[in-house]
Amino acid sequence: MKTKYLMSMGTLSRKDNSLDFKNEKGHNYIPITEIREIYLMNEISLNTKLLSFLSQNNIIVHYFDYYGFYRGTFFPKEHYISGKLLLKQINAYENKGILIAKKIVLAISINIYNTLYHYYRHGNNEIYDYLNYLKDDCKNKIEKSKTINNLLAVEGEIWQLFYKNIKYIINQNIDFSRRVKRPPDNPMNAMISFGNSLLYTKTITQIYHTHLNQSISYLHELSKSRFSLSLDLSEAFKPIIVFKTIFDLINNKKINLKEHFNKKVNYCVLNEKGKEIFLINFEKRLDNKFDHKSLKRKISYNSAIKYDGYKLIKFLLEEKDFMFFNDKEKK
Amino acid sequence: MDINGTLINYYFHCKRQCWLHANRINLENEFELVDIGKAMHEIKFNNKKNSEIKIDNISIDKLTNDYVIEYKKSDADIEAAKWQLLFYLKVLKEKGIDRTGKLIFAEKNKQSKKTIVVKLDKENENELLNIMKNINELIKGDIPEVKLIKGCKKCAFYEYCFL
Ligand code: SF4
Repeated sequence: MKTKYLMSMGTLSRKDNSLDFKNEKGHNYIPITEIREIYLMNEISLNTKLLSFLSQNNIIVHYFDYYGFYRGTFFPKEHYISGKLLLKQINAYENKGILIAKKIVLAISINIYNTLYHYYRHGNNEIYDYLNYLKDDCKNKIEKSKTINNLLAVEGEIWQLFYKNIKYIINQNIDFSRRVKRPPDNPMNAMISFGNSLLYTKTITQIYHTHLNQSISYLHELSKSRFSLSLDLSEAFKPIIVFKTIFDLINNKKINLKEHFNKKVNYCVLNEKGKEIFLINFEKRLDNKFDHKSLKRKISYNSAIKYDGYKLIKFLLEEKDFMFFNDKEKK
Repeated sequence: MDINGTLINYYFHCKRQCWLHANRINLENEFELVDIGKAMHEIKFNNKKNSEIKIDNISIDKLTNDYVIEYKKSDADIEAAKWQLLFYLKVLKEKGIDRTGKLIFAEKNKQSKKTIVVKLDKENENELLNIMKNINELIKGDIPEVKLIKGCKKCAFYEYCFL
C-alpha cells in the first residue's frame, strides 16, 4: 500500500510511529512505512506535529475539497537535490524548451491514437478521420511549430477534436459537447476534471522521488503552478490513465449517471460513492503492470510516470534522445 | 568533491555509478534491494544500536583494538570492497589510528573464506592515491556510457540506465 485515501471527515495525527486516523467509526492506525502519499478527500484536521512527522518520512499529502476539487499539496523537504541538474533544467528552458515541449505534445497525440485505435478496431468507424489527423496532419503541425504558443494551439486542437469524438466511443447517452472546467457542468466534465487533478497529483509524487525541480516546465507556463513540471509530465498519461478509466466506467456501466453524481443547475460533480468508484478504478489502472521492452522487467504505469522523469534527466545530463511514455515501451 | 568510501567502491564496480553518485544523482531503488541490504546489516551484525562510527566523511561498521571491520552482503565484488576498506585504513592512519582491516561477507559465492584481512602498506597506499586522483578526474568529466555488467540488475540506477 503506497497511497492512502481518507474519504471521511476526521482527525489525522501521529501515534508513536504510526498514523492515527480518527473518524466516526473510531481509530484507524496506519504504519508509516507503508505509505508514500496521502489523499485527504474531506474535511480533515491535523497538526504541525503530524506535518513534521510526515516530512521526516518524505510523505506527500494532497488535499481535495468535499466536491472533489484539488486544493493543494503538502510537500515535504526535498530529499533529492542536484545543483548540476537544476542548472541543466534552467539551461534547457532557455535553449531546448521547445524541443521538450514538442515531445510532450507528440506523446499526447500518440497515446490518444493508441487508446482510440482499440475502439476503431472494434468497429467505431466514426473516429477514422480523427485517427488520420493524429497520424499525419497533427504530427506535421507539431514538427513545424516554432514557438510554444504555436504548440499550445496544436495541443488545444488535439484535445478539442478528441472531446468531439468521445461520443463515438461511449455507449451511454451523455450530453457532452465541450469541455467545461470551472465548475464542470455534466458528468463527463466532472470525471475529466477529477481524473486530471488526480493524475497531476500522482505525477507530483513521482517527480518528488527524482532530482527534477518541479517548478521548471517546458510546455506549461512556469507560473502556472508550483508544480508546473508535473503538469507537463502528466499530459502523456491522460489518455492512458484518465480517459481509459472514464471509458471503462461508462461503457461497462460501473458508474451510474443518475446515482453517482451531484447535479445542480450550474454544476455537476461526483458524489461520495461516485468518487470512490472512480478512485478504485483509477488506482487499478495505475497499478497495472506490463512487460517493459528495454528494462526487461514488469513495471506499473505509476512507475512509468517516474521513469518519464528519468528520461528527462538523462536528456538534460547526457543529451540522450528520448520519447515520453508510449505503447512502444511495452513488449 | 570529497572522496568517500562509497565512491571508491563504485569506482571499481562501475564508473558510471561512481559518476552519478559523485554528482549527487542518487535514485530510488525500485526493488528496494538497498533497504533489504540495510535491514540485513542491522539484523545480522549491528544488534547494538549506533555501532556504526562516523569519522569525517567515512563511516565504519566496527572498530576494535586491532581491526577496522567492514561487513558486506556478499563477496560479489571483493576488489571494490577491499579498496574501500583500504581507504578507511588510510583516513584513520592520518588521524593516528593504526589498524588492520577485516572484510566479513554474509554470503560467500566467489571464494571459500568468509573473512579477508587487508593491510595498508606503502605499495597499496600509493595505489590508493592514484585511484583517488583518477576518481577526481572521472567525476569532473563526461558521464561514462552504459555498459551492462552483472551488477546492473540490482543497481539503483538500473531503470535510469536502461530506459
Ligand atoms: S545500472 Fe549498470 S551501468 Fe548503470 S550505473 Fe548501475 S551498474 Fe553502472
